[in-house]
Amino acid sequence: MPYSRNRDYFGFVARMVPGTTTILFVLLSLLPFHIPSFGSIAPGFALMAVFHWSVYRPDFLPPGVVFFAGLLLDLLNGTPYVGLSALVLLLVRTAVVTQRRVFSHRPFSILWLGFFGAAVSAFAFEWAFVSLMQVHAMAPRSFIFQTLITTACFPIGSYLLALAHRAMPALSG
Amino acid sequence: MRVSAPVRATVQRLTLPVLIFISALLAVLGKADALLFDHVRVVLADTLAPVLQVAGEPIVTVSNAIGTVKDIASVYRQDQELKLENQRLLQWQEVARRLESENEELRNLVKFAPQGAETSIAAQVIADSGGAFLRNVLVNVGRDEGVTRGQPALTGDGLVGRVIELGDRTARILLLTDINSHIPVVVEGTHERAMLNGDNSDQPQLVYFQPKTPVKPGDRIVTSGSGGVFPPDLPVGVVVSMNGMIRVEPYADLARLDMVRIVNYGLDGVLPASAIPVPPSIGGGRSRATSGR
Repeated sequence: MPYSRNRDYFGFVARMVPGTTTILFVLLSLLPFHIPSFGSIAPGFALMAVFHWSVYRPDFLPPGVVFFAGLLLDLLNGTPYVGLSALVLLLVRTAVVTQRRVFSHRPFSILWLGFFGAAVSAFAFEWAFVSLMQVHAMAPRSFIFQTLITTACFPIGSYLLALAHRAMPALSG
Repeated sequence: MRVSAPVRATVQRLTLPVLIFISALLAVLGKADALLFDHVRVVLADTLAPVLQVAGEPIVTVSNAIGTVKDIASVYRQDQELKLENQRLLQWQEVARRLESENEELRNLVKFAPQGAETSIAAQVIADSGGAFLRNVLVNVGRDEGVTRGQPALTGDGLVGRVIELGDRTARILLLTDINSHIPVVVEGTHERAMLNGDNSDQPQLVYFQPKTPVKPGDRIVTSGSGGVFPPDLPVGVVVSMNGMIRVEPYADLARLDMVRIVNYGLDGVLPASAIPVPPSIGGGRSRATSGR
């Protein structure tokens, strides 16, 4: 795997950064934002973290960690479909890892566009799954809103993750 | 311990499809067998509650600050409104006092036994599902504080939902907008029974059983007490739209829940018949109890 070349250079702590930030982003998406006119729908921070690390350091965010993060999200947000987020995040990781050459060393706008595509696919998949399980086509409004708000917040999430990313060499000791 | 390279490569190649398969399986089977995860969920929520609470503090501070700035901007208008409201409320107070004494006299007259005393506990919202297909919140009180499953949660404005999951230190409240929420209600003043069904939109649908009196926008919706999960006459919301579906705007601001009150009315699922003060003419047709997921 070409992207694991630097493995020995990074220390244990640095290698934990992608997984840890992904878990932190899962918790972030659960916090009750009471900001006026924000609504009850929070941005999908977990999706941002999985997308970001799948582009830049997929070797440090193995499928097992993605699965765990998705499961944690499902267990904490009280969904009746435990495993759905894990499934969606794993599929996003798989898709992004195969396409990561398209995104790396490109301007941020390309990355953002790619994330928009991932968010549309992820939330459309969730919508289809929930509609199928409820045997009732869910109103797509919330899903569209969540896709848009997640995409709109991606630069913030991506910036925070990039800060953590830049700290990794220092952490490797 | 070193594993040989080919074995490791095979394991690595298989991890992804196996995990995808497991998550798909869980997502499909979990709904069929909700108990499968209930215990894990509750333990996890209890464990992470302090973390979520601490992490939420800055957010509460920021939103309070924004709220303060907004309040300062509108302080004059608010003052005028409050003066008017105060005048109106003083008149109502007068009415309430008169009714209270009249009520007491009438109760003495008929020897009416009041319903069990209610106790309530304030709870802070520490997590919000935030998902597109979920409407629930996690609060920082649980079994240790005497909360039990099914108890209603309210704000000062009206009903929020009910406790569906219970840990020692946390409780999950299913909001009345969630697709799994079905609440027996009546249109105030008409005795017209209906179900308020959430559909994940901000305004749940009102579904009638026997429409006799036409319902119109502005009608108040209160709990009916059928099924024994909620006591009767808790304020729920107001009818807002009538085109095609009757929709109800909840009184409580469900998008920005911060503190809720979980109330113990001493109900345990099915009310003793004597505790429901309903005239015999509308006593029939007990509605379906609110069903969880």
